[in-house]
Amino acid sequence: MKLIDYIDQSFSNLKRRKLRTALTTFGVVIGIGALVCMIAYGKGIQKNISDSFTQMELFNYISVFTESALSRLGIGGERRIKAQGADSAVFLDDAVLKEIERMRGVEMVFADVRFPAAVRLDENEEFVLIQVLSSELTASPVIKLRSGTPYSSDDENSLVISDSLLTRLGVKDFDSVLGQEISVSTLSFDFSQVDPMDLSSLFQGDRLPFSRDDYRFKIVGIAERMGFGGPALLRSDVFIPPGASEGLKKLPFSNLWDLFQSPGMRRGYSLVNVKLSSPRFVDPVQEEIEKMGFGTFALMDQFEELKRGFLILNGVLAAVGMIAIVVASLGIVNTMVMSILERYAEIGIMKAVGASDKDIKKIFFFEASMIGFLGGVLGLGLGWLVSVLINHVVNAFLAGEGVPFIQFFNFPLWLCLGAVAFAILVSLAAGIYPAVRAARVDPVVALRHD
Amino acid sequence: MMKDFPSIIEAEGLTKVYAMGKVRVMALEDVTLSIPRGSFLGITGPSGSGKSTLLNLIGGLDTPTSGTIRVHGKFLSRMSNEELAHYRRADVGMIFQSFNLISSLTAAENVALPLLFAGVAKRERRQRARDVLNKVGLGSRAEHRPLELSGGEQQRVAIARALVNRPEILLADEPTGNLDSRTSKEIVRFLSDLNKERSITVVLVSHEEGLIREYCHLAIHLQDGALAMKDGMP
Repeated sequence: MKLIDYIDQSFSNLKRRKLRTALTTFGVVIGIGALVCMIAYGKGIQKNISDSFTQMELFNYISVFTESALSRLGIGGERRIKAQGADSAVFLDDAVLKEIERMRGVEMVFADVRFPAAVRLDENEEFVLIQVLSSELTASPVIKLRSGTPYSSDDENSLVISDSLLTRLGVKDFDSVLGQEISVSTLSFDFSQVDPMDLSSLFQGDRLPFSRDDYRFKIVGIAERMGFGGPALLRSDVFIPPGASEGLKKLPFSNLWDLFQSPGMRRGYSLVNVKLSSPRFVDPVQEEIEKMGFGTFALMDQFEELKRGFLILNGVLAAVGMIAIVVASLGIVNTMVMSILERYAEIGIMKAVGASDKDIKKIFFFEASMIGFLGGVLGLGLGWLVSVLINHVVNAFLAGEGVPFIQFFNFPLWLCLGAVAFAILVSLAAGIYPAVRAARVDPVVALRHD
Repeated sequence: MMKDFPSIIEAEGLTKVYAMGKVRVMALEDVTLSIPRGSFLGITGPSGSGKSTLLNLIGGLDTPTSGTIRVHGKFLSRMSNEELAHYRRADVGMIFQSFNLISSLTAAENVALPLLFAGVAKRERRQRARDVLNKVGLGSRAEHRPLELSGGEQQRVAIARALVNRPEILLADEPTGNLDSRTSKEIVRFLSDLNKERSITVVLVSHEEGLIREYCHLAIHLQDGALAMKDGMP
């Protein structure tokens, strides 16, 4: 028998029982659709994260902590440094920054400086932590600007604001605020409130010893909010240049923890970020910094663990899809066995006129794989359709929260081809028993007329 | 008179035992016969006498419990499943009482079925099926399905299917059992013509002894699975 004849034969056989074929195929469609959707989701999430990390060069960064900050952030793992006594405590100060800057592969070292402030646009006010970020970094891929430009120098009174904060401030047309002035209010100690003879009065009066100062900044850029919370480097919605920051009266800490962290109340940074020219410097630089007694964190390390996590996630999602496939394959077995019972005499006739056992087996295998192929292709289509639908619904919901469009699903070529191949394979496996049974039909029994 | 003809089918000590549950049924017992090439052999006998079993064994549809069958000098019992299938499609054609046509296929498709398994291309299949249908006088009915045809027409479609691979042997198992006497006669005459004109060896199983006496050169009678009488046999 020729290949084309097998295909022809199985096609016309399936066409004879349209409803049953359709229902059986639909079972496979649902199974493959579910499986494809699940895997595409797992892959999509993974791709989203690794792509955006790569794009933003986040694999080029190392964060450096003092030991106390490290324990507070709960970042551990093998690279966690040993607990140190207060005496041997090390401080992240400018001298350390300079030292790290001299290491091979280090492009830039900058402290994570943030301070509380209120920003006001028209009538709306929001409280935020403003982050100090050099103009160089603002121009790097770490920040994704949706419109406008980064500030051109470290000294100008300009800022970059995130679109999500603008949304919270009631702005609908983001571009309309470009170039507009925005008011930033900071808090600082007001020493005029303090009676130097009686410091205990400091926190006892009706009024706290703080004063509020207002500054005007020009909005030059609007940053895109990162879909996944963004990199650890940027933990703010407003970025100002270091020069401008120096001119502001402000509290020297962003949070009371900073005070606890600093043994002996010495001033030091709690967090310093190191930018490398390439991810391959992560390991050596990390090692050197750790020798100095600091804790480090590199996304690169976490990413390996993350990958393992994704593998498990994908496995779990695939397992859920597999259940649907198993059910679908039982449907195929059922359909094929039914078909054999109905075509019992027909199989006998085919054998009588010269069909070999192999021919009969192949006819049934082709029928099964045809169901698999149809189910695979349509299932892939269904999976894709559902993913587009989910993507739109979820994104429409997230858009209200100021989150940019995220592609949650990813359909790599191997998944598309693999899904169809898998569907055929499963159908063939489901077809084994019926095919063997069909081949075993005894023509003498099948053709007995009395 | 047939002594000069070489045998095309030789059976020796053919025995077939069916196990029906715990009961063993002796369908055929120690049958030895030789069928000359180009002869028209009739097999008669009451139902259950083993006529169909003998025909199925010769047709390669069934295998004997013991004994041998040689066709063209080749032992069927030594053939693999694959070779047996090839034998059925190339060397013998079979027709049955209930025609055994596939009802979902047209007459032409039914006739072309053996060619499908022989690996003949579709276009040629169609052509050859039409040619054979023309020969059995059903050229105009090629696209009809079996249920749209009369009994006699269906049996002629079955004959066309049996002939399409140009076998040397035609085995007919009660081909007239479902037909009226006029049509029965037509069919047997047609088989007889094939035997004469194309020197196809025909083995006809029937309980209508009149037909067999009228058309067959040779006849055997089976009784309880054993050869009871040979008529004109070498």
